Amino acid sequence: MAKLCNEPVCMQASSLCVQRGAKLLLKEISAAIPAGKVTLILGHNGAGKTLLMQTLHGLVTPTSGQVTGPDIAVQKMVFQTPVMLRCTASKHFDFLCPGASQEEKLSWFKRASLVGRMQVPARSLSGGEQQKLAIIGALASQPEVLFLDEPAANLDFEATAFVEEMIRWSAKEGTTIVMVSHNRAQAERLADHILFMDKGRLMEQTSAKQFFCVPHSEAGKTYLNFV
Amino acid sequence: MDFFTPLILAVQMLIGFDADLYEIIGLSLQVSLVAVGAALVLGLPLGALLASFQFIGRGPLIVITNTLLGLPPVVVGLLVYLLISRAGPLGFLDLLYSPAAMMIAQFILVLPLSIALSRQVFEGLHQDYNLLFKSLNLSWKTRVTTLLVDGRAALVTIALVCFGRAISEVGAVILVGGNIKHVTRVMTSAIALETARGELAFALALGLVLLFIALVVNIISQQIRQYFTPEDRYG
Repeated sequence: MAKLCNEPVCMQASSLCVQRGAKLLLKEISAAIPAGKVTLILGHNGAGKTLLMQTLHGLVTPTSGQVTGPDIAVQKMVFQTPVMLRCTASKHFDFLCPGASQEEKLSWFKRASLVGRMQVPARSLSGGEQQKLAIIGALASQPEVLFLDEPAANLDFEATAFVEEMIRWSAKEGTTIVMVSHNRAQAERLADHILFMDKGRLMEQTSAKQFFCVPHSEAGKTYLNFV
Repeated sequence: MDFFTPLILAVQMLIGFDADLYEIIGLSLQVSLVAVGAALVLGLPLGALLASFQFIGRGPLIVITNTLLGLPPVVVGLLVYLLISRAGPLGFLDLLYSPAAMMIAQFILVLPLSIALSRQVFEGLHQDYNLLFKSLNLSWKTRVTTLLVDGRAALVTIALVCFGRAISEVGAVILVGGNIKHVTRVMTSAIALETARGELAFALALGLVLLFIALVVNIISQQIRQYFTPEDRYG
C-alpha cells in the first residue's frame, strides 16, 4: 500500500478529470486518502467537492485518470439528503444492511435513539432521524470506506452530535472517512486530513492542523477568512 | 325505448342472476384478468429494466413500445388470427375461437401499455434512487424488485388502465373468439351482436354492467392506493 507522509493510503486518485459537455468540472486531481483517518473535502459551493467524492466512490466515471482503492462493495455513502424507500425504517435498514441480525439491528436503532420509530414509514421520519437511519445503515455493514456528503447539513444540535459521535467512533474502529462539510468548527473538530478544492482544482492536501493554521494557497487563505 | 328501460332490465338481470348474463360477465372477467395479469407480470419488470438500465437498443425499444400503444385492436386480432388459424404457424394448437385466443389478443394489446406506463413511473423513481442503487452496488434483480415494490401504488393505476383497455376491447376478440354463445361470448362482443340484432335494451343493459364493473374496479384500486399512501404504511 502506498504511503502518504508515513501514513498508509486507502485510496488514490491519479490525474482525475471529469468533463460535462465543454466544461471541465474536475481538473487533473491527484490525491491520496489516508487509511483509517477522517479526510474532509473543503471548498466553496461549486468547487467540485461532491463530484470528487462521487468519483472516488465510483458513482461518477472520470473522463480521464483513475481511482485505486477498495472495491465499491466495501464502501458506503451517506447522501446530504438521505434517499428513503417507501417502507418502514426497520425495512429500510434491512435494505441498507441486508446481513444484519435482528439483535444487531436493534442495537443500532438503540444507539441512534430510534427504537420507537422502527415501524414508522422511513419517509415520515424527520430529516435528522432519516440521516441517523442512513448513517447506522451504512455503518452496520462495517465498510472500509465511508463517504459522507454534508451529513450534518440542516440538522439540529442533537442529531449533529450523533453524526459526529458516529464519525469519531467509526474512524477509531479503522474505517476511512471521506466527508464534505461547510462547517469550519465541525471540520476542525473532526478532520485529520484536508483536501481543499477551488474551481475544480485540488489546491491543497495537507493535515487539518496545517491547513487551519497556515494554508499554503491564496484560495485557502481566502476561504478560511470567509468561513 | 326510454333511457330507464335498459337500466331496469340491467338491474333485473343482475338481481335475477340471469344465467346467460353471468356467464358472459364471468368469461369477460376471466379473459381480461388473465390477459392483464400476464401482461403485467411481463410488462412491469420490462418497464423497470428500460427505466433503470442503459443498454444498446434501449432507445429503439422505447420508440417501438410507445408506437405499439396505438396498435389498432382489429390489426392485433387479424395477426393473432393468422397465427392460430389452421393454416397458421400455431394452427396445431387449435386455439382459434377459444377463450385462450381472446386472452392472447388482449395480452398483445395490453403489453405495450404496461411497459410504457410502468417505464414512466419507474423513471421517476429511478432518478431518486439511482445514486443509492449505484452506491450499494445492487444487482439488476434487486434494483427491479425495489422499483416494483416502491412503485406499487402507481402500478395499481397502471393495472387498472390495462384492465380497462382489455375488457372494453371488441374488434380483436370477435375476430379470434368468434362470439360463440356459451364459449367465447364476452360483454363487448355480446353488445355488438345485440345491437346488430336490434336488441338495444339488452345491449345497453350489458353496457351498464360493463360500466358498473369499471366502477367497482376503480373503487377497489382507490382503496388499494389509499392503503399504500400516504407515505406507504408498510414495505
